[in-house]
Amino acid sequence: MTSRETGSVQISRAEATEPLLVVDNLSTHFPTERGVVRAVDGVSLSIKRGESLGIVGESGSGKTVLSRSIMGLLPAAAIRSGSVRFAGTEILDLPAKRMRHLWGAEMAMVFQNPLNSLNPLMKIGKQITEPLKLHLNMNRSHAKATAVRLLKDVHIPEAEQRLNQYPHELSGGMRQRVMIAIALACGPTVLFADEPTTALDVTVQSQILDVINEQRTDRNMSVILVTHDLGVVAGHTDHVAVMYGGKLVERAPTRTLFANMKMPYTKSLMRSIPKLDNPSHTRLATIPGRPPDLVNPPDGCRFAPRCAYAQDRCHDEEPPLAVADDPDHYYACWYPVGSPEFEARDAELRAAGDPRVDAGATI
Amino acid sequence: MRYWLTRLGTSVLLLLTVSALAFGAMNILGDPLFNILGPVALDVDNPESVELIQAAEEQYNLDDPLPIRWALWLGDFVTGDFGVQFSEDGEPPVRDLISERLPRTLQLLVMAQVLAALIAIPWALWTASRPNSKVDRASTITSFLFIAIPSFALAVMLKWALSIKLSIFPLAYVTNDTFWERSFQMLLPAITLALPAAAIYQRLLRTDLITTLQEDFILTARSKGVSRRSVLFKHALRSSLFSFVTIFAINTGALIGGALVVEQIFLIPGLGRAIVEAILREDFPVVLAIVMIIAFAFVILNLIVDLIYSLIDPRVRSS
Amino acid sequence: MNDPKDIDHVHLDEQAQSLVPLIAGASTFHDEGDTETATKRRLGIGFWIAIGWIATIVTAAVLAPWLPIKDPDANLIQPGERPPYSPSSEFWFGSDQDARDMFSRTIWGARISLTVGFVAIAFGMVVGGSMGMMAGYFRRRWDSVVSFIFLVLLSFPALILAILITSLMDRTLFTISFVLGVLSVAPVGRVARATTISFADREFVLAAKSLGAKHPRIIVRELLPNVVIPMAALALLGMAIAIVAEGSLAFLGLSVEKGATWGKLILTGAGTRSLEDAPWISMAPIIVLFLTVLALNFAGDRLRDYFDVKETAL
Repeated sequence: MTSRETGSVQISRAEATEPLLVVDNLSTHFPTERGVVRAVDGVSLSIKRGESLGIVGESGSGKTVLSRSIMGLLPAAAIRSGSVRFAGTEILDLPAKRMRHLWGAEMAMVFQNPLNSLNPLMKIGKQITEPLKLHLNMNRSHAKATAVRLLKDVHIPEAEQRLNQYPHELSGGMRQRVMIAIALACGPTVLFADEPTTALDVTVQSQILDVINEQRTDRNMSVILVTHDLGVVAGHTDHVAVMYGGKLVERAPTRTLFANMKMPYTKSLMRSIPKLDNPSHTRLATIPGRPPDLVNPPDGCRFAPRCAYAQDRCHDEEPPLAVADDPDHYYACWYPVGSPEFEARDAELRAAGDPRVDAGATI
Repeated sequence: MRYWLTRLGTSVLLLLTVSALAFGAMNILGDPLFNILGPVALDVDNPESVELIQAAEEQYNLDDPLPIRWALWLGDFVTGDFGVQFSEDGEPPVRDLISERLPRTLQLLVMAQVLAALIAIPWALWTASRPNSKVDRASTITSFLFIAIPSFALAVMLKWALSIKLSIFPLAYVTNDTFWERSFQMLLPAITLALPAAAIYQRLLRTDLITTLQEDFILTARSKGVSRRSVLFKHALRSSLFSFVTIFAINTGALIGGALVVEQIFLIPGLGRAIVEAILREDFPVVLAIVMIIAFAFVILNLIVDLIYSLIDPRVRSS
Repeated sequence: MNDPKDIDHVHLDEQAQSLVPLIAGASTFHDEGDTETATKRRLGIGFWIAIGWIATIVTAAVLAPWLPIKDPDANLIQPGERPPYSPSSEFWFGSDQDARDMFSRTIWGARISLTVGFVAIAFGMVVGGSMGMMAGYFRRRWDSVVSFIFLVLLSFPALILAILITSLMDRTLFTISFVLGVLSVAPVGRVARATTISFADREFVLAAKSLGAKHPRIIVRELLPNVVIPMAALALLGMAIAIVAEGSLAFLGLSVEKGATWGKLILTGAGTRSLEDAPWISMAPIIVLFLTVLALNFAGDRLRDYFDVKETAL
């Protein structure tokens, strides 16, 4: 595979000197009656071929809008600015008509709730073969054979029979596998998985993540995994980007992040990973306070109003993305974990028995 | 299976009740003997009249109790024997009258419904894909006007404007013309019925499509790279068709009423004309037969809708 | 879990909720906008214009005998001219073939048409409303009997039922209104039943029950006020439907035998000859009828939106 004509967009991978997907200063705004919602506000990130990136944040942090902004799947009212380069081509300003040649073929998406995301009135076979016929011009029998192979790839038993079934006849886990098969159908180079396991039973969650990972390796495909659960990204991604209030607040290789997280917000997220003794789907609501208003965001650091370690400067000045010891590790915080100011405040809080500091949490 | 049996049972029960009510009303509120014989029926002192009365009572089973007469009539009715017309020597039999008139009304209804669907579906798709645009708002007002206008008022206005002033459509329905000529003569009446129906369908389908277009699976289809047109037609329209089929069937009942009236204005000798003529003559077997045929059609139509439902929705089919 | 965290939980959900439409909207091609919900809570100027028109027509109809208008039945032959006369300062809406003034005939026609519409829907409200409320309140056997009656009534196309009954009766103002009233029993009753069911288990009803209130008291004092509001919207729509039904019956020769109704006025002008010579004979009553039906429909629709009555119940 060297270069493939995808409609009018020439994607050449041979001369790709830069990462497969480069997002630069991307902002997505929605005009509403209350004012402009800055759902994504100046996010930059990049991902190489075959890599996987986790985007983590609470609900309302903008992570879903970010993934859809990159792919261009937004309502007409959304206003995007910045730059998204895919395989060296700027795709942000492409009209939907031309993006359509990329959707499904080069970039695909798996959604949160497989029951709602599959067309209830269409046989599974038809839903899988639809993009095959559309993008790869396969004939009926070829498409059908490919569909069976895809279902086998995602470990669905009795694949042939499934083609004639409807989504409601399958279990939740099976449906999500079908969704993944549909997304993988045309061999995309980037797969967006938006909370792919949130609607599923705990027991099937890791199976689904394993299938995605397996296919990533087999197909040398990049994966962007959007989740609220740091626990999910821990074992399944190479890099992690943490979002808060529409901004990227920390970004690092996964191992580095877990070993040496800098943002107090990331640390709070860490505390909210469901422990074994917690009921499943425990919300991230354990961080006190509410996510920032995206119409009138606070001055300074957006997390400051909820941050136990915030100082005056945090409320006034917005911290820029700084580089940590590891050159791939960025964070946006004036007083990151491990800094003298942080440690001093931490000791104070612990002495006062502040509930926001988990006595047991040692990183 | 069990569901279909219950469904069928209810329908039969419904038809029995409806026929009993109609038959009872006819015989209690009206005086069948008088209708058969005219003033002779009251002339009980004249032996000749009494003879006629007894003969008529014999022939029409009038001396049997009401429930038995109902059963006899119903037995005849379901086997296709609609009896004889009371007046005009009973000729032609009601059955012949119906078989002459029914196809015309049926054709009018079919043409109206086809036209309505042909207008409503593109109209709904067009407005649903740009909700709250200027076009959509104008269309909302238009559909509101068409829904509010009574069919007879629309018929008179269209006849005046298109047949008389502009002479686009013919003024008369000629029973001896060829099928295609008659179909053309029926076009304006069909349009009259179709316009308000189309407005009703459009309003419902538009709302439904807008809801469907916000479903997750539509986003999935878009993320697969399916074109906007295919998203609308293959993914959104299909699941919105349920409500369309339902309202389509329910509205057929209203259209039947409209057809009877529109036939008067455009002078089409269909069931509507037949029923008006029968009422003028107080010819109750004809009225009863037409009423029952329409009630039958209505109940069966509802059954068919249920069937179609289970055919197009796999979720209903399996449960 | 009885600490402040629970409150935050709620806040988080709120914020998440507010983003849901944004994200869900990603699937529509154009943004929906919130204009619909914004106008929903106001009746709007259109509503008051509609009510104004209805009030004007009703007043004119009620005061017809005292208004300075021509005698609707007088043959006002103009010397040297043959009727029908076209609209002029003398005959505002023109005249019919018998030189009768269409303007005053339309106003007098309103008397019968509006009475039919009003009596019919009032009958439907009282009979259907109480049947539906009983069914919705007592449920069980009452409910199945009433529901079956509604089903039977609805299994006829309404006009057919009207034809069946009116063809058998003397067609007076009373009988026509009565028949159309019977027809409105089922649709009205269904809404009353559904609304009652939705209120029957609410706290205030249960509270009244626990205080030992008797059934009639609960129905009249607690349920009726809540059922009446959505029914008011329905009454306007129902009145429009009854007025149209009278017109349809007129075209089948089954309207009120004595006196002019809108339907009969339109019918007399609807023949091909009349339409060629004097279209105003039918157009004048058509326009007035249409405006009235439109106003009733519009006002009813606005009221229904205003009180957020579920269309599924209809």
